[in-house]
This record gives sequence, structure tokens and C-alpha cells, in this order.
Amino acid sequence: MSPHPLNLASVRASKARLARQLGEAGYTAILAAEMSFVLLALAIFTFGEHPERGLLAAGIAAVWFMLAQWYQHDLKPLPVEDSSFTGRLSGDVLGRLPSGAEISPLMLWRALSDHWHMNFLMNHSLIISRELETGISNRPADLEQMLYTASQLADRAGRRAIEAGHIITAIQLSTPSLKPFYDHLRLTQNDIAAIGNWLDRILNELDRERPFFGGIGRDWANGFTPTLNRFASNLSFSVEHSGSRYSSISEGSGVAAIQNSFAQGSNAVAIVGPNGIGKTSHVYGLAQLLLEGKVVPTLQYNQIFGLNPSVIISSARRPGELEEIVLMLMGEAVQAGHIILFLDDAQLFFTNGPGSIDLTQILLPVIQTGRVRLIMAMDASDYQRLRTHNPAFANLLSPVMLSERPEAEIMDVLEDSALGFEHKHKVIVSYEALREAYRLSGRYDTENAYPGRAVRLLEQSMSHSVQNQLITAASVQQAVEQSRGVKVGAASGVEADQLLHLEDLIHQRMINQVRAVKVVAAALRRARAGVSNPKRPIGSFLFLGPTGVGKTELAKAIAATYFNDETNMVRLDMSEYQQPDDVKRLLSNGANDNSLILAVRRQPFTVVLLDEIEKAHPNILNLLLQMLDEGELTDIGGRPASFKDCIIICTSNAGADSIRQHIDNGEELESFEKEFTDELINTGQFRPELLNRFDEMVLFRPLKPEELAQVVRLMLGSINKTLAHQNISVELTDAAIMKIVETGNDPRLGARPMRRQLQRAVEDGVANRILAGQAQSGDHLVLDVGDLAL
Amino acid sequence: MLAVTFVRWWYGAGWNTLVHNVQRRNQRTIDSFSIPTLLRTLFAPWKRIVSAPGAGIDAHLRAIGDNAISRLVGFTVRLTVLVSAAVSLAFLAVFGLIQIAVWPFIPFAAVGLIIGGLVL
Repeated sequence: MSPHPLNLASVRASKARLARQLGEAGYTAILAAEMSFVLLALAIFTFGEHPERGLLAAGIAAVWFMLAQWYQHDLKPLPVEDSSFTGRLSGDVLGRLPSGAEISPLMLWRALSDHWHMNFLMNHSLIISRELETGISNRPADLEQMLYTASQLADRAGRRAIEAGHIITAIQLSTPSLKPFYDHLRLTQNDIAAIGNWLDRILNELDRERPFFGGIGRDWANGFTPTLNRFASNLSFSVEHSGSRYSSISEGSGVAAIQNSFAQGSNAVAIVGPNGIGKTSHVYGLAQLLLEGKVVPTLQYNQIFGLNPSVIISSARRPGELEEIVLMLMGEAVQAGHIILFLDDAQLFFTNGPGSIDLTQILLPVIQTGRVRLIMAMDASDYQRLRTHNPAFANLLSPVMLSERPEAEIMDVLEDSALGFEHKHKVIVSYEALREAYRLSGRYDTENAYPGRAVRLLEQSMSHSVQNQLITAASVQQAVEQSRGVKVGAASGVEADQLLHLEDLIHQRMINQVRAVKVVAAALRRARAGVSNPKRPIGSFLFLGPTGVGKTELAKAIAATYFNDETNMVRLDMSEYQQPDDVKRLLSNGANDNSLILAVRRQPFTVVLLDEIEKAHPNILNLLLQMLDEGELTDIGGRPASFKDCIIICTSNAGADSIRQHIDNGEELESFEKEFTDELINTGQFRPELLNRFDEMVLFRPLKPEELAQVVRLMLGSINKTLAHQNISVELTDAAIMKIVETGNDPRLGARPMRRQLQRAVEDGVANRILAGQAQSGDHLVLDVGDLAL
Repeated sequence: MLAVTFVRWWYGAGWNTLVHNVQRRNQRTIDSFSIPTLLRTLFAPWKRIVSAPGAGIDAHLRAIGDNAISRLVGFTVRLTVLVSAAVSLAFLAVFGLIQIAVWPFIPFAAVGLIIGGLVL
């Protein structure tokens, strides 16, 4: 039998137990005793009749003093002794273990049940520690393997001591019987390890020495800055006094690149990157480095001031005053010395317009003479615009391009932000909420970059806490649903029931086309259940068939049932896009009513209905390939727009005569589908690569007279809805309905003429009766063939 | 056993910790008073308040006078702080040295004082 991996009879273990027994209360008592005996000794020496007894009090005070020193500098921190498990285990773990006992993983788990590391790990993984106990081994023989895993975790985190958090995470990772429990909570081993890693980063931050920011003489070398204080915010001051730290950013490559640019003699740096990537955070990171003095000599003692354009503009009341203020600001920055000006949203300083001012003519000489350093933040398109419109100015800037960081670093930023939100909103932010914020922001916020978009979504989730002030994945889903109007949580209850019976719902407004409704409903169920490809549109369908058979109606029915509103639809007639130049119109990012990109940006969760697709120019069909494949199109300005939350429906009358012929011959749709597709390809009406991109090709067949009669009944229903507020209702006899079908039926136009016919036959008649006073509130009109105004 | 551990710590890691803490305290004092910065900028104008010379010899002389006053103010303030820093540092250094020197005798002193108090 191998020896027990923990030597609980060791001196180190005894010291840990003693420290735990004393605790902070014991330490306070020791200090109190020490002070009491010091005072007693002084009193005896001064006033006592037997001053020699003061020696005894002084001696006892010295003993308390030594004890206090020992506790404070040795027992409490209990430094790591050697590389053995006993030598590395942190004092607050070792002190909880009884001497002489054979410790099992379960005993260790229970011993740590009230440790703050346990609370942190359990709260953030949404687990109740007691619920795991049944799965944890109670065999002392299993302890060594677990301790080995814990020591590896500590090594990986760069920590010498094996902390309580490492033990708890190691028990979770090395207990296979807990897997079903985690599966139920949708937690993976990686998630457990990541939550442990989150705790390690907090411990490392707590151990970090308090940064030193300069002392009382630091600012005496700089001049007064009253105007800057009024129109700009001192970022260095904010970093110094807010308590926020930007250590992970200040040590990163972005801040190093900014420093290098200044070190190499540049006076102006442009931080270029999309919104949310952390341009401003990089400037705060640099401000922290400046305060710590960990910068190149040329930047020592510099402070960063962020200019606020809206304050500057609103302060200028007469023409020319704006320029005066800006010149004053620059002059003061030069005079004060050691100042770096930061222009956030720098495009606001390069263009004249509401909320923006063109300062290039003032900034140009300032940069050229190198008397003030500038940092500007802007996105790539604004930087490009600046290069085009003002190349002389742009050439003076040293660009620092920020690119998106790896997922692990983004999760670190989210974890740091979560701690701030927990403090501010008095909530607990679970790890699953962070994961969900990462996932859903990537899916639904394509305008901004990580980590900003994920942090923003997480903050929005704070108002959706579930019981006990917990922020979970459901909170994040609710935030997305509220802000974006799309369902992202798992379908349940009424919604799940509706999805399961989607065909019935659609058929309440669609006559026949059973096969079309079936394939569409199945695709929507796949999407809502989360089993379809999230990188493509929710669904893509090509509706083929003669006109007036319900293609558009089915598209509206989908919008109504899936997006809750049949007007949730972007509809374009592709016969208006027959020229090569029409591509620009479709991808325009400016004010253009026919821009598909703009329409989808305005309404990202929508049905995109492209009518008569076969008439579009081939270039547009190529775009369609990209849209169906990648769920994304890029506008003419280079910004992507997501179609991943759209249902794409293309309609076409191509081959309508062929369908009619097959149906007239008594064939069912399924029997000639393949032949029909080949025909479309062979006749050059559609390219095979386009047809292959659609989830489903849906054939619509011409409606029979009895089906058209049902259409008439549906239309009559909508007429009655209109008349309801006058408390009048209309009914048609079967003969009247068949008469309308007979007169309105046109095989080439399907059900479309029926609405006109109904309008003429019923609506006109009813209108005349109302005006003649023959139809009044409460009347129920039954119209037969003779009553129809045909 | 724990008593032996305590004694080993007192004359080993404990004494080292004290030396380290004294050094750190002195360094913090130097940092808090910004001594290197004050020395570097000892003769710099106070808060960079300087006059630009205008045209003519009078304006030049006035600017030189104003700037000299600004430098004198700066020098006075910085020197005052430097002197305070030096006094504080000297006091802390001496106090630290006494602490380090007295440390090994504290256990003996405690025992001696207790015995002395009981015997006398």
C-alpha cells in the first residue's frame, strides 16, 4: 500500500491548523493583549509602587508581539515549502484537515464546503455543492490522482501553492461519475476548467502588488490645464482613481505597438479597428502604463486627455469661437507639456456636420511641429475616407490596426466585466451566461466586434436575472429576444405546440399546396430546434409554379407564424434588377429604397421575398449564391450584413406551363419533380449550382375549382372582419360562391382574379346597401347568385 | 515542536521578512515624495509658468525676471519637499536599522523580562 499523499502530522500541517484556529479574531485578540500589556507596563513603570513588576508586563507584551509577528508573516500566508503535495497545499486547505485521518476526495470536498473558492466555483457554474457529493469518491486511494490533477492546474495557472479552487476543480474533473450531472446542466469539462481558470486569474490579480502611480511631485512638472479640464477628460486621472485596471490590455501587443510608434518618432497614432474591439480600452491601458512608469523614456510622465467634441461644439456660441477654443486647447497642451490628446471617434473631428467639426487644418501644424502627441481612434472605413480626402493629414498618422483577439482572451474580458456587473447590479453572473453572451452576440450583433458586442449583451442581460439574482443563459437569451425581436431560447409550451402543428396554422390561411406547406414547416422546425446550420439563413426556398397559386401567400403565412407578423417581410421584384449595375443598387449602404442590405439591416429577422428571380441579372444570382451559402452579403462600403436570421424565399413562374401540363395529365407533383428540375437546368432557366443552394425547391400546382371556392370563403372571411366594426356580416350561398369561381377563374392567373371578382360581386353590393340604408348594424346578409353585383 | 519551528522562523525567514519590509518601506517613502522626479526638475519653472519675451530689451528683461521667479518658486517648493523627504527617510532608515538590530534579541528580552519581573 502506498503511503498517504498528505502528511497531516507534519509541522506545516500543524502550523496551518494553528493559523485556522487563531483566525483573524485570534490575531486581533493577540494584538489587543499586546497593546494592553504595553500600556500596563508603561503604567506600572510610571505610577506603580513596584516598577520592577512592569518588567513582567513588558515581557508578556513581547511574547504577544512575537506571536502576532509569527501569525501575520508565517502562519497566515504559510509559504510553499517544497514540491510535495503537503508542501504545496495552501494553508487554508491544510488547516481544515484533521491530523491522523485518512483523507478521501469526498472528505476534502466537504472540508472546503464553506470556502469562498467553493462558493465562487459553484455559483458561477450554477451547481449546489451538496448535490455533487453522491458522485465523489470516498476512497482515500483516489486522493493522490486528484492531488496530482490539482497540482497540474496550479502549475498551469502559474501559482506555486495548490489552492482550494484547484482542489475543487480537480475533484470535478477527475470524477467520471459526475458527467451525467454536468450533461444535464450542459456543462463540459472545458467549462469546469475555464471556471477554475477564472478564479485563478482573480487570485493572480489579488496577489499583484498595488501599482505605484508617482507620488506628490509627479504633477508639479506639468503645467496648469484649466481649459483642458473643462473640455476634455483626464483619462490618467480616471485610471488612477476609478480602481479599474487594464493590466491584460496594457501588457498586450496593441499598447506595445502604440508605444513603439511614439518611440520611433511619430507624433500621432491612429488606432484603427471596428466598434467594440477595444480601441478606447487600449488608450486606458496605455494610461495605466504611463502612471506605472513602465514606458519608453520619451513617454515618461505623460498624461492622456480625451477630447469631447460635443462639449466643445456646444460651448461655441458665435462664429469662430469653436476654432478659438480648439486653438486654446492645443496651446494649453503645448504649454503644460507631457500631454497626449486622445480623439475618440476621430471622424467627428474631421468632418463638418451636426455633432462633428473639421479640425484637420488646426491639427495638421500641431502634429507637424511635434509639440503635442495625438492618439485617434477610428474604424477602417473612416481611416480609408481620411486617406482619400485628406492624404496629407493621414500620412502623418502611424496606424495601429487592431484585430479581433482569440476566443480565450475575449472570454477573459467577459469574465472581468462580469465581476464589475456583479458588484454593480448585486447579481451572480454564471459562466453559461458568459458563453451565451459570446455565442449570441457573435450571431446577432454583426455590426460590432468582440469583445465589445459580447460585453454589451451581457450588460443588457442584467435586467433579466432569474431567481436569486442569477444571470444565466436564459437571461442573455431574453435580452436578445427583447432587443432584437427574435426567439433564441429553446421553444417550449405554446410555441413548441405551434411549431409541431405549423402545417395546421398555415392551412388556416392557405388552401391546399400540402406538399409546399409540409416542406417549409419541416425546415422551420429544424431551424427553431437548433439543428440547422447556424451559419446559413434560417431557411431558403425556391417556390415554383403558376401565378396566383399561393406562393406569396405562403411567404406571408411564414412571416406571420415564424416572425409573428406578416409585414415582417422584405419584398423585392427582381424584374427591376436586370442590368449589371443593379447590383450596386441592391448592395447600396446609403439612402436607397431598393437596397436589400439596408432593408435587412433595419429588419434582420425577416422573410426576404425575391419575386421572379429568373428575371434578375446573372451577377445578382451570383450574389444570391453567396447569401445562401454564407448567410452574409457585403455592402459597397465593405461592411457585412447578416442574412442568417432571414428566411429567403425566391419565387419564379419558370416552367409554370409544364407544371400545369403535368397536373392536367393527372400526375402528382412528387412524380415529376426530378424531371421538372432537369428541364429547368437543361433549358438554361436556372443554373444547377443555384438550385442546389436552396434548402428546398417547392412546386406549387394550379388550384382546382373546389379549392378556389375555399379561397373565396377565406376572402369572404376577411371582408367580414372589415365589416365587423359596423356589426354587419355577409354570407354567400354555395351557388353564389361557385358563380364567383366560374366567372373569376382564369387558369393563367390562378386565384388572383378572384379577389377582384369578390370585390365587384360582394363588396360593391354591400356598400350600396349600406348607403341606401338597407343594411344596418346587426344585419346578417345572405347573398345568393341573384344578389351578386356581377 | 511548534516552539522549535517558531524559533527557526524567528531567526530565519522572519528576520529576512523584516529586512525586506524595511527596504520596501524606504522605497515607498522615496516613491511617495517623488524624490527622483523632484531632483530632476529641481530648477524647472513652477507648473511650467513661463513668460515669452516680447519685442525690446525691456520685455526681454521682464521675461527673464518672471521666469527666474517661476524657477525660484519651483525650486523652493521642491527643495522643501526634498528636505522633508530626507528627514522622513533618515528617520525611517534609522528606525528600520534599530528594528533589524533588535529583532534577534526580542525572544531573550521577553524571557529575561518575565524572569526579571518574577524574581525582582
